[in-house]
Amino acid sequence: MHWTLRGPACALVASIAVGLAACGEREQNNSGEIRAAVTSFPDSLDPALAYTGEALQALWVVYTPLLSYAHAEGVAGTQIVPGLARALPKISADGKTYRLRLRKGLKYSDGRAVKASDFEHSVKRILNLESADTSYFERIVGAGAYLQSGRVRGDISGIETDDRTGAITISLEEPYGSFSNVLAMTFGAVVPGDTPFENQTKRPPPGVGAYKLANVRVNRGFELVKAAGFDVGDMPRARLDTISIEVVKNRGRQTQSVIRNELDYMTDPPAPDQLRSVRDRFAGKRYREFVTNSTYFFFLNHRLQPFSKKAVRQAVNYALDERALVRVFGGLLEPSCNFLPPRLAGYEKIEPCTYGDPDAPPDLGRARQLVKQAGAEGEEVTVYGTEEPEAKGAAEYFADVLSQIGLKGSPRIIPAANYYATIGNRKTRAQAGFANYFQDFARATTFFSIVDGAAIADTNSTNFGNIDDPQIDAALARADRNPRAAAVAKDYAAVDRRLLEEAHLVPYGHRELSVFFSDRIDFDECTAWHPVYNLDYTSLCLK
Amino acid sequence: MDEARHALEPATGDDPWRLALRRLRANRVAIGFGALFAVLLALSLAAPLWAHVAGTTPSRNHLADTIVIDGQRRDVVTEDRVPIGPTWRAKYFLGADGNGRDVAVRLLYGARNSLFIGITATLISVLLAVMLGLLAGYLRGWVDAVVSRALDVVWAFPVLLLGIALGVALARDGLRLGPLSISGGSKWIPTLIIGVVGAVYLARPLRGLVLSLREQDFVEAARAQGAGPLRIMLGELLPNLASTILVFVPLLVANAILLEGALSFLGAGVRPPDPSWGTMIGDGVALLTSAPHLMIVPGVMLVATVLALNVLGDGVRAALDPRAKVRVGR
Repeated sequence: MHWTLRGPACALVASIAVGLAACGEREQNNSGEIRAAVTSFPDSLDPALAYTGEALQALWVVYTPLLSYAHAEGVAGTQIVPGLARALPKISADGKTYRLRLRKGLKYSDGRAVKASDFEHSVKRILNLESADTSYFERIVGAGAYLQSGRVRGDISGIETDDRTGAITISLEEPYGSFSNVLAMTFGAVVPGDTPFENQTKRPPPGVGAYKLANVRVNRGFELVKAAGFDVGDMPRARLDTISIEVVKNRGRQTQSVIRNELDYMTDPPAPDQLRSVRDRFAGKRYREFVTNSTYFFFLNHRLQPFSKKAVRQAVNYALDERALVRVFGGLLEPSCNFLPPRLAGYEKIEPCTYGDPDAPPDLGRARQLVKQAGAEGEEVTVYGTEEPEAKGAAEYFADVLSQIGLKGSPRIIPAANYYATIGNRKTRAQAGFANYFQDFARATTFFSIVDGAAIADTNSTNFGNIDDPQIDAALARADRNPRAAAVAKDYAAVDRRLLEEAHLVPYGHRELSVFFSDRIDFDECTAWHPVYNLDYTSLCLK
Repeated sequence: MDEARHALEPATGDDPWRLALRRLRANRVAIGFGALFAVLLALSLAAPLWAHVAGTTPSRNHLADTIVIDGQRRDVVTEDRVPIGPTWRAKYFLGADGNGRDVAVRLLYGARNSLFIGITATLISVLLAVMLGLLAGYLRGWVDAVVSRALDVVWAFPVLLLGIALGVALARDGLRLGPLSISGGSKWIPTLIIGVVGAVYLARPLRGLVLSLREQDFVEAARAQGAGPLRIMLGELLPNLASTILVFVPLLVANAILLEGALSFLGAGVRPPDPSWGTMIGDGVALLTSAPHLMIVPGVMLVATVLALNVLGDGVRAALDPRAKVRVGR
């Protein structure tokens, strides 16, 4: 533990007797080391590839992109702010050209200077490594030609950089209003121009951030070490010297370790059978729950019986009991009939809910009637879900609901590792199933991308229900051209309403996650929950 | 002590089957556990009756329901997903699970599934083992070499891993073998897997027995009378294998139920929402401390059934062949 003393008198006392901290005001401890646990090792620690929550939470404070999100809680945290760029981009009138300029004197954590051309190299890595979000960068002029050429050191004509002035100009094939959000993702982080074109998880490249990665032991853990000399605009500096993150697969063990102060923080919620005890003992003192920007829903395949009929889809919506699903998630779900989560431009709470109050029993009678009218009685429906307790419980519940309204529902539980590839494959002919989506970035576009007709594909489709609604597609196309999300909020709200009116899917809530800390952490002052990247590691400090 | 007494019994000229039955009856421990197994079997058959009394089905979710106990209204499943414990009444007699399903109803239906798989898989094992044992033991030569090596390969492979690998591989697309087509979620998938794996335990001793029997005078006599291999195998050898098969059957059933439980626990056996004791134990793991009944209840049933079958099997062995040593499982 470290104490800071104020005032000359105290300085004198401190110089005489170290540890005599009787005078002076107690302050947050701006140093020290803490131990945190994750249930699984991040999918990657290479900014071009990392996609899972565990990875992004850590990488956000290691690799500052050209733009970033404000280090703030709530809606304020969804605001895009300049990162390595001096200011927000200047966007041309046609919405196709983004001009930025790097801040002066930027240095990577290894001391090398940041060059504007490093950005083009970073984009080349994203394209070559086929990262999860490659498609966002394929919108850049020349990205397709670059990939086709097969020359990794080739040129992307749509990116022009000037190392002398730090100017970066990006040209897009078509206007894409969310491109500033794309530049604020850790994917868009700038890495040195000599970073190899391969996964660098074992030896992550240096970044510009409050922390740097160290001591990476794949599948076992890694460390975030305070980066000396980090000074980028209003970006907060690291308070702690080291955050040691270990993989502890058993959430029960993690919970016990945090309770006993052997671990300082766990990223996942406590184990289900310990949740009640943790809530009772530590809520408001060491434990808090937060609603994430996520959406949980059941997809209904429009191209297959019986969900090709709107009446059956409506019946399912009438029959669903959100109160039941809240229990499946152990209370860590905010029930909602909106597909879009709160805190995003375009969110307008649908009230009253189209298919009944989420806090009241469902209208099973009406649902049965609709199924009967549609002539779908007795039709078999396979409901897909994963082995994870919540997804399995939800799929089993949903299959039972279908059986209660006259269909024959049966769950099919498959491993989580290849779940989305399976249901996104046309040959699987998945009729219905569990699905969720966590934001790629803080704009409605990212959520609606999975209900856009353009997302339908034979393999790896993200539009699992094959929703192909011209009205939705047109509204999204219009809204997605505008860089100002607030200006097209009405369009997004209309899409959200239409999804429900047409019963295109069955949304039921937004996931809540939690933070649980040891006694050592200053819970009241130093535990900021960011709406995009979850826990803000730069906020952490010891008591 | 029983065995010693049986061994010293004077030859009475009785039918050996009748003698074995008399010995078995005298073994009260075996009979007691046999009765326990019969009770468990009867309970499983009465599952629909109990479901009717409880007013639910094994897969009906009651997540948001409430129940009045001693004048107090209680959630079947609390908001933090802790299910109600045993009420000792018709509804939720043994409590509910994490999805609000009645544990007692699922337990009885689970017994049906576990016993169905255990017994059917054993029948498959016996059928396969008899076929392989007779062919390898009687024909010898290359047939014996091929069958024996195949059995060695299966024997050498860890049973559980083999079961998981087959279970997972077949769960998605099911099994299609010529006219035989089984969907991925069918109970027949774990049944077949366990049946094939279990055949090894019986096929090897049967082959050894046939090898010795084929040299006996009665086989030589049948051959001299012009009997063909098929008639000798089925008419002369098979009846002499009956007592060995009978000794193995209860042990194979117990082993099959255990293996089914393990596969279902690991997600490679019975598919949801069908209950089996293994899946019920698996579902209870996440709520071990807050709802221990979810693991204890099916666990006790599994132990009781396997114990009953093992003791009964031991009694059958002692009755049929007091000197034999039988082992199933590794």
